[in-house]
Amino acid sequence: MIDTAASDDVELEMLKSMSVVREAIVADADDEVDGAMAEGAAAKRANDEVKARRKILPVIEGLVLLAALLAPLVLQDYLTVFATRVIILALFALSFDLVWGYAGIMSFGQALFFGSAGYGVALLARDLDITNIFLVLPAGTLIGLTFALLLGGFLLLGRHPSSVIFVSLGTLTGSYAADRLARGWYYLGGQNGIPSIAPMSLGSYDFTEGPAFYYLVLGILVVVYLLCRFLVRSQFGLALAGLRENEQRIAFFGYKAQHLKAIIFTIGGAVAGLAGSLYAFHEGFVWPNMVGVVVSTQVVLYVLFGGSGTLIGAVVGAVIVEGVSFWLSDNYREIWPIILGLLLLLVILFRPLGLISFVLGERERVGSFGAKQKERRNAP
Amino acid sequence: MANAFVAAFEILSFGAIIVLIVLGLGIIASMMGIFNFAQGEFVLLGAYITYLAYAKGLPIWAGMVAAPFVVGALGFVLEALIIRRFYAAPIVAMLGTYALGLIIREAVRGLIGGFYLTVPEPIGGSIDIGAMHISAWRFTIIVITLLVMGLCYLLLSRTSFGLRVRATLENPSLARASGISTPLIYGATFAFGAALAGLAGALIVPVFSLFADLGLRFLIQGFVAVMVGGVGSFIGPVAGAGVIGTLSAALPWVMAPVVADVLVFVLAIVFIKFRPQGLIAGKGV
Repeated sequence: MIDTAASDDVELEMLKSMSVVREAIVADADDEVDGAMAEGAAAKRANDEVKARRKILPVIEGLVLLAALLAPLVLQDYLTVFATRVIILALFALSFDLVWGYAGIMSFGQALFFGSAGYGVALLARDLDITNIFLVLPAGTLIGLTFALLLGGFLLLGRHPSSVIFVSLGTLTGSYAADRLARGWYYLGGQNGIPSIAPMSLGSYDFTEGPAFYYLVLGILVVVYLLCRFLVRSQFGLALAGLRENEQRIAFFGYKAQHLKAIIFTIGGAVAGLAGSLYAFHEGFVWPNMVGVVVSTQVVLYVLFGGSGTLIGAVVGAVIVEGVSFWLSDNYREIWPIILGLLLLLVILFRPLGLISFVLGERERVGSFGAKQKERRNAP
Repeated sequence: MANAFVAAFEILSFGAIIVLIVLGLGIIASMMGIFNFAQGEFVLLGAYITYLAYAKGLPIWAGMVAAPFVVGALGFVLEALIIRRFYAAPIVAMLGTYALGLIIREAVRGLIGGFYLTVPEPIGGSIDIGAMHISAWRFTIIVITLLVMGLCYLLLSRTSFGLRVRATLENPSLARASGISTPLIYGATFAFGAALAGLAGALIVPVFSLFADLGLRFLIQGFVAVMVGGVGSFIGPVAGAGVIGTLSAALPWVMAPVVADVLVFVLAIVFIKFRPQGLIAGKGV
């Protein structure tokens, strides 16, 4: 994303070299870079390949950002509203990706934090007339964070480490229970939820659906994305990646694996809370599905499609799933969920790393930590 | 007195329904280590087949007999084609079976539309004991549940098939070395679990009527019941189902239904947290 500052020419150049490299990658399919290097003559090419491969991620990020920035200029009004919703859902997908893609916690109840924050800000707006953006967004984030801290603390911490199955079923149950509670509790509006929430305000300006709201959520997404990117590329992120790959080994290294998990779960909850409060104000109403299993599994779909373990994968997955579903909903409303299920099954079976793995190598997915490769080579 | 009796019957019959649904889920979870998210959709399919038989003018009981066999056969095919690839990774198995469930559920939704379709009870009317009336069909469900439970227990503990299943569960490589075809046993176990779900769906459809989210409604309750009972044995999930079913039916009589609904789940999760091995620990039957 940082690279977008570069002029268009540079971008074009990069694109060209990228497509060449991609052909090269396809050409020697499964050949590892190390294997290619042994061939002497190919060494230089392979070196270039490594260099160029490294650049794919920023290029994708830059392209996505560019497309997102230009979208409202070319889209019709009602599509901008739709795009805003997609961006909010991408933010939500980011939260699940942090938890599952980086820490290996299967949270089937991510909507609990999304929806409870939505309900929280809706109540603030309805009962206390608080709609100031600087109050409601932090409040929503805090609600998501608190719920995630409570649920994550309970499920993940303790004398005996919890099994993966227990955590996933525990979060699923939590989300389901919240759904039932929201449906039955009159104060929360029961089945109908809370309708007609007042728009979010900044001074005397009201954020209503449209380009302003779009750029607001896009800005928030970019900021959160960069924060997450910094987080997963930090030493903490390295420990997390280790946790995902082999929890026992990380524990033997002396890390408190449970604490790491609880921390990332809480951060994920906070991001989901932020997304939930934005969603509530954008749609103008909240309803029980928002905390329930339906939305929880929806976000799992986004991330699995896009590619878990890459932040951009979550964003791309949300855009693709929502976009295609919007596109097909006119003519193929009935069969779209079936197609979605089939595609999901295919992705799980044959592309466990998601669609993004078509363009992104394993090396770049994990990322490099600490010393740069050059320095490492020089080291004794 | 009469009221208390009716309440007790309601609680018992709901408990029996949960046990019936959890039986298949528990067998698959215990014997294969997979939490099958598509189990709810197998229940739905069983219900749909019963409805189909009724709509085509066949006797309802014919549909109910056919349902477990059709769903079991489907389970066998799905296991061979898809589920087999997931044994190494339980989380991936969850996601994969979820995708399968999504496909089945939406396909059925497409077939029946968004309606609630009713299927009449094959044994209508009520049984009168003095001044008290209890639904004959619900009573039949309790009886069938007890029968199926007993038969499953006998199948797993007394027959050579049961022995093979248990051997495969305890030590797959030794079982293979002893000449047991473990893939076939896994396939048969999965098909058996699916068939039980189909039977459950067929039996409950007159009580709950047919709608696309029928299975989803019981899935989470089923999972919680399996965890509470303890994964690894046959009797554990059944015991858990008894507890969860009884609690969810009994609590609304003493407190607001909304609170009761949520309380059951909270209690169950807290219980599992502090006793991860469940009510009945250990492997075996």
